[in-house]
Amino acid sequence: MRRAILCVCMLMGVVPSIAHTQQIHIDVEAGEFRKMKVAMPSYAGPPDMAASVWTVCARDFAITWLFDVISPQSYINPGPTGEIQPGTLKDWALIGADYVVTATISRQGPRGIFRVQMVEVATGILVESTTYTSGEQTMYLAVHAFMDHLLKEKFGLGPLFSSKIACIKKVNGAKQLHVMWCDGTGATTIRGGGSLVLNPAWSPDGRKIALVSYYRNNPDLYVFDTLTYQLRLVSGARGLNTSPAFDPSGSRIAFTSSADGNPEIHLVNADGTGRTRLTNSWATDTSPAFSPDGKSLAFCSSRAGNPQIFLLDLASRNVQRLTFEGKYNTEPAFSPRGDLVAFSYLTEGGRYAIALVRPDGSQFRVLKGSGRGDETPSFSPDGRLIAYASSDGNINVMDLTGSSSVAITTGGGYSEPAWSPVIR
Amino acid sequence: MGRKNDIASAVIMLGVALFLAGCPKQALEPVGAGGPQPQAQPQQESPAMTPEQPAMQMEPYGGASGQGAVRLDQARQDFQDADIMFEYDSFSLTAEAKKVLAEKARFLNAHPGMKVLIEGHCDERGTAEYNLALGERRAKAAQEYLVFLGVNAQRLSTISYGEEKPLDPEANEAAWAKNRRAHFVITEG
Repeated sequence: MRRAILCVCMLMGVVPSIAHTQQIHIDVEAGEFRKMKVAMPSYAGPPDMAASVWTVCARDFAITWLFDVISPQSYINPGPTGEIQPGTLKDWALIGADYVVTATISRQGPRGIFRVQMVEVATGILVESTTYTSGEQTMYLAVHAFMDHLLKEKFGLGPLFSSKIACIKKVNGAKQLHVMWCDGTGATTIRGGGSLVLNPAWSPDGRKIALVSYYRNNPDLYVFDTLTYQLRLVSGARGLNTSPAFDPSGSRIAFTSSADGNPEIHLVNADGTGRTRLTNSWATDTSPAFSPDGKSLAFCSSRAGNPQIFLLDLASRNVQRLTFEGKYNTEPAFSPRGDLVAFSYLTEGGRYAIALVRPDGSQFRVLKGSGRGDETPSFSPDGRLIAYASSDGNINVMDLTGSSSVAITTGGGYSEPAWSPVIR
Repeated sequence: MGRKNDIASAVIMLGVALFLAGCPKQALEPVGAGGPQPQAQPQQESPAMTPEQPAMQMEPYGGASGQGAVRLDQARQDFQDADIMFEYDSFSLTAEAKKVLAEKARFLNAHPGMKVLIEGHCDERGTAEYNLALGERRAKAAQEYLVFLGVNAQRLSTISYGEEKPLDPEANEAAWAKNRRAHFVITEG
């Protein structure tokens, strides 16, 4: 899916403050950052459409982790409000809002119009007044464009809402590839490729997804093209061809193969040629994840007696153990910033949680997450957020402190989230 | 005359012996597709008459009642129903698992035409990718032990389903214990 269908129609009003908005240095781990409090009275326009755009907007603010939407129950004027009346600012100041975001939704033929305004409560300055259009059924794209604009202007961040999450969805007993935007909108379950599809992993250009399918009654490795929907076999040796990970160039795929006996990490060209083995251990080696510079590979191995995270230096083939806490650490994910490895960690209480460690093995910490049992972390393209699967079968997004988590699916049946790079 | 009769009965007996010897092999074929066909090819040579085929084994299949095939059906069913179980995050064979595998080896050695797919399964705890590898190791552990007990490796294939096909979908100790298993499916013979 491309963003070409979405266009910024026109800039309305005077927006002198945008250029002068200070970019805020975000140091999440130092705990210095205070989230911006946003009031969002309900949007004006056709009720169903306005309500659904409002919901996407509120969820997206929460996903950014940079904004907190104040509960509408505390609003003195809950809306609907299309524009902010100058006299009402003190009402928003009273409930502690830093910004008020209002919008008017309207229809124009088959298209919908999202006219959004954002006022800084302390100064009364209109910091945003922009109109976005999209198809009536794809109004979330207009919200994404607004959010990506805010992230860039206010924080100098990349377009988070131009990234997707692939995962596996259980449908009538079958497991299928499921792809959605990172806030859960625009979701598509992709049929075909057999009734058991697992282990999705994005190519660095965000176009292809490596995955495992039992189409030929064996866990074989395929590459799925999200534009042409073609599925191409990459590795189909009898036994395991599982847990794929593209290297940063996109030309090679690391995966688990048992072709030589026990499960080891192998490397193969993305076209299926030139397979080589990277690990050599009696134990189970699986779940490779490349560092962003492509020089090393985090992976899971049971060579220490139970599954732990290790780091393989590709040039020297040296292997260093990263995790010493706990007896079951699996499925490492490398941060795109290269400074963290996230993984699934079994707590002493027998609950699974997402944990982080530096690539030198220091600063192990466990993230609160859903608190119910969390697995399979995957970093956002800006490295600030982590998607994971909770034990109720939903996909969630949380920040690196793990203190706040947003569910992006409902109803359960979802597993193995894989966050894409920015899709241009 | 008496001598002729003796010869005639000897011929008949040889025919019966050949028939009985040939029978176990014949009886394997029609399972699942109706009863045995004892009259099908009584004149057939006796390729099955080999030292490994003890005479005792022929008995169940000799009857024309179809009881032999019923028993074989039951034996096949028992073979496929008996999973071997594993401890959490382990692919070591327990004493009980080895006992079950020894029975399976006896059965397979008695039915040399049979081919078997060994499925490795895990409970839902832990993560999908690691469990795919663990399931593979469980299936391979069972395969290696059967080979150790004299079953030709060519007759045994393996597949891992990881945590993807639990026998019991509940999330409790009893269900998890049931799901940590290797399952055996007769694919041929």
